[in-house]
Amino acid sequence: MGLVAVERPKPKTHTVIIEGMRFQPESLTVARGDTIVWVNKDMFPHTATSEGGRFDSQSIQAEKSWTFTAGKKGEFAYTCTFHPTMKAVLYVK
Amino acid sequence: MKTAAVTVAVAGVFLLPVAGPSAQGVNDAQIASTVVTANQVDIDAGRLAASRSTNGEVKTFARLMVTDHTGVNKSATDLAAKLKVTPQDNPTSQSLKADGDKNLAHLKTLKGTAFDKAYIDHEVAYHQQVIDALDRTLIPGATNEELKALLVKVRPAFVAHLEHAKRLQASAAPKG
Ligand SMILES: [Cu+2]
Repeated sequence: MGLVAVERPKPKTHTVIIEGMRFQPESLTVARGDTIVWVNKDMFPHTATSEGGRFDSQSIQAEKSWTFTAGKKGEFAYTCTFHPTMKAVLYVK
Repeated sequence: MKTAAVTVAVAGVFLLPVAGPSAQGVNDAQIASTVVTANQVDIDAGRLAASRSTNGEVKTFARLMVTDHTGVNKSATDLAAKLKVTPQDNPTSQSLKADGDKNLAHLKTLKGTAFDKAYIDHEVAYHQQVIDALDRTLIPGATNEELKALLVKVRPAFVAHLEHAKRLQASAAPKG
């Protein structure tokens, strides 16, 4: 029995800035196991809520953040439930 | 042309040299007052609507107005304090306040769908008015960079609120 070499890159951390009623970047691609941090730089609360129910930050207060680790592959469109004009997408490869 | 920087001492408070009037004829103290008044007016209307409206979507919108404009006002007052700018009454802030008072008095005479319609119609007009003021007077007039940055940063919120209010206005309009 030998060691099985598993090619699995170290998980990365990505940041999405919420500012001026926008998610920046609006489109982000990550690998499974990566962590995404949403940082609210606006003066009032926002959410990062996927349309399919995969993730939901609930209210992220001003100057606070929310962290999510991507577990499942797919394309996840998300929005802010308070401000539905805010839209973005997370791709998990 | 650049206005000469003047340091003014008012009641022991040293206003920053940047507080002199800009080309728009407003100084940062007046801009700060206008911003705070604009937000406060919408917080007051939102509080009334959150308690008086019987429509779920209108209530949700009203609560959002209270939350968002309270957040903006906290940042604006914190910045004014940091910059040692004492908000100063001016024709724009006075007219916003007078219009806000008139709106509240009118809304208090209404109920049900008439209340919702009057509240939402006013929200559409109000947000448009504030966006116009931001574009024409407040953003170009702000001399302090941090104040200007705050105004630029809040503008998209007013735009989103305007869109939201217009959507409610359209959905409440008689069909057919
Ligand atoms: Cu939001």
